[in-house]
Amino acid sequence: MPLIKLENITKDYGDGRGIFDINLNIEKGEVFGFVGTNGAGKTTTIRHIMGFLRPDKGTATVDGLNCWEDSAEIKKYIGYVPGEIAFPDEATGNAFLQSQAQLLGLKDMTYANRIIDILQLDPTANLKRMSKGMKQKTAIVAAFMADPQILILDEPTTGLDPLMRVGVMDLLNEEKKKGKTILMSTHLFEEVEDTCHKVASIKEGRIIDIKSTKEIRHNEVKTFKLEFVSNDEYQRFIAQDSKIFTISEKRPEQDQVIIQLHDENINQFMTMMKSFQIKFLSERKYTLEQYFNSLYKEDKANV
Amino acid sequence: MFSKTIFKQTFKSNIRLWLIITVILVALSTLIIGIFNPDMMERVLGFMERAIDDPEFLARMQQEISLINVLGMNFYAGMGLILVLIYIIITANSLVVSKVDRGSMAYILSTPIKRSTVIVTQAIYMIIALVVMFSILAASGLVTAEVSHGGVFFERFTDDVTAVAEEAGMEEAYVAADLNMILENPQLLAIGAEARGIEVEVYAIYLTMLIAQGDDMPQPERTPEQTAMEEQMETAFVDGLEAAAEHMEIEMIELFGDLRALLADHEALGVAVAASGLPVEHFVQGIYMQLAMEEIFLDSRFQFDIGDYIWLNIGMFLLMFATAAISFFFSCLFNLSKHAIALGAGIPIAFYIFQTMAMVGEDLEFFRYFTINTLYNPIDIAAGNGFAIQFAILGVIGVILYGLSVVVFKKKDLPL
Repeated sequence: MPLIKLENITKDYGDGRGIFDINLNIEKGEVFGFVGTNGAGKTTTIRHIMGFLRPDKGTATVDGLNCWEDSAEIKKYIGYVPGEIAFPDEATGNAFLQSQAQLLGLKDMTYANRIIDILQLDPTANLKRMSKGMKQKTAIVAAFMADPQILILDEPTTGLDPLMRVGVMDLLNEEKKKGKTILMSTHLFEEVEDTCHKVASIKEGRIIDIKSTKEIRHNEVKTFKLEFVSNDEYQRFIAQDSKIFTISEKRPEQDQVIIQLHDENINQFMTMMKSFQIKFLSERKYTLEQYFNSLYKEDKANV
Repeated sequence: MFSKTIFKQTFKSNIRLWLIITVILVALSTLIIGIFNPDMMERVLGFMERAIDDPEFLARMQQEISLINVLGMNFYAGMGLILVLIYIIITANSLVVSKVDRGSMAYILSTPIKRSTVIVTQAIYMIIALVVMFSILAASGLVTAEVSHGGVFFERFTDDVTAVAEEAGMEEAYVAADLNMILENPQLLAIGAEARGIEVEVYAIYLTMLIAQGDDMPQPERTPEQTAMEEQMETAFVDGLEAAAEHMEIEMIELFGDLRALLADHEALGVAVAASGLPVEHFVQGIYMQLAMEEIFLDSRFQFDIGDYIWLNIGMFLLMFATAAISFFFSCLFNLSKHAIALGAGIPIAFYIFQTMAMVGEDLEFFRYFTINTLYNPIDIAAGNGFAIQFAILGVIGVILYGLSVVVFKKKDLPL
């Protein structure tokens, strides 16, 4: 049974806004990415899991507990980084973390201090004067410090500089190794690629695809870019009628072609290429971004 | 149902405003009670002219200018109310809706704390803060009254009673209970008059009036002839005073404020007596009676009934308890501060405006039915009119709204 389960969750705000028939199953130990543009419905979905919103239809459960009815109970297992950072009226980061620990019933701060070290956070700083990045780090410490089984992170890396972003992702990978269940939303594909087992893509309130990251990256059809030494060679390559590959783009000015090649044809292709003079050959990595862009395009084409 | 951690956090972030408002309230009430001056005779005498024609007016006036009333009308139904209103509106907003609007409520609710616990804790803070505020206000008022006027915690005796008791070697309370004793003893009468700084004749009339007030004996029926004669005499007396005022080139009110000047001014007195057509003795007697009445006013305005004062504060607290519940309810109902303030501040302010309009004139009196503020009427307390039902209604409104606050907050969507 999935640890986090959303069944037909619908929240209709009218005018096509809201989320519709969201189904998600997140297994224990799974790191689940949630991508989509701003306003696609990521935060609304997360708020249903946190028990902040009551669904119009459908049910959300965490470990079998109803997210709305047992919202206080499920928080025992959940650490949450909200999408918007607005701290309570506390003087310093430390004061805030202390009161947060009290609310959690947490007495031992060793783990909290470790995370503070990893994130290089200065918790003695004035809470109101903290930079966006420092606030984000403070929020992450607050969510992680009780060492909860489930982490729900709404865009946890916004506001962080690239270096700090790596730090946070390292922390997430560490939690992943410990077997934590993590749901993180983001609009940065690279974050998802590196960390998540599965990715759900949401658009206009509907899940358009759920795929494992492995599946996407280990696509059997790969894209290559070739440049020929001369235009003659380029023309000769174009002219041949081969079933081994398909040409997706021609760039006669640069003597370049972009081709799609299935893994099973790679040896045949190499043999064939012996007769051509080429400058270079490079593989174009297939990223999640491309994957989802292609999905979005398909989606548009269907409309 | 209650979280100490949240309470501490709430206390820390709200105590400053509470402290500022409480200090201002205490300072104002101390000022009003402290400078309350029984020699504010001008005000009294302004009505005196009418008092002559209307004996009931005397009783009402005595109430009107009592400390409880001055405090109730000027402070508890005015400035003080507005200050506490400001405090309530800001605090109710900061306790719930601003946390939801800004998003900081997410940190509380991402811990295993129930929504109902959050609201109950915040409501308890709201209520306790008001209880402590009014307790401090009431206590400081009692202390100020005792320090500047006396007679609050211990029975206060007038100077003449003290002097007479000393002379006769008796307890003050004993003397105060048997004023006839002074009246019958010329020596004691002289001592008492001296202690009060008034003429023996005036003092004697003053004592007689006091004794008559003390005996709850029904006044003997007056024959129509007697009433007519009294009225005739009063008219004649006023005519005499008018003539004297004209002669002395002063206003009637000024003359009333200083009748002793007329006694000293033989020429003016002669004019007055002539104009009144009364025998000199009668006319002078009339002046003495007026002066004796002034003395009774002086005494009565010192009166400070602890019971009335405590009820004045309890009533104010209950009104604020109910008002705070209104603001708090809307703070729990809405997710946006601007919506919560529109109703949570708008309704209490409208109530205040309706109350003010209802007091302006009879044409607008119907406004009293559109506000809860009229359920707390300081005048009723001083006048000894019933107020238990009104106070109970205020309490019930508050309790219901606090209860509803928990219910609506538990059931609503939170954008956190």
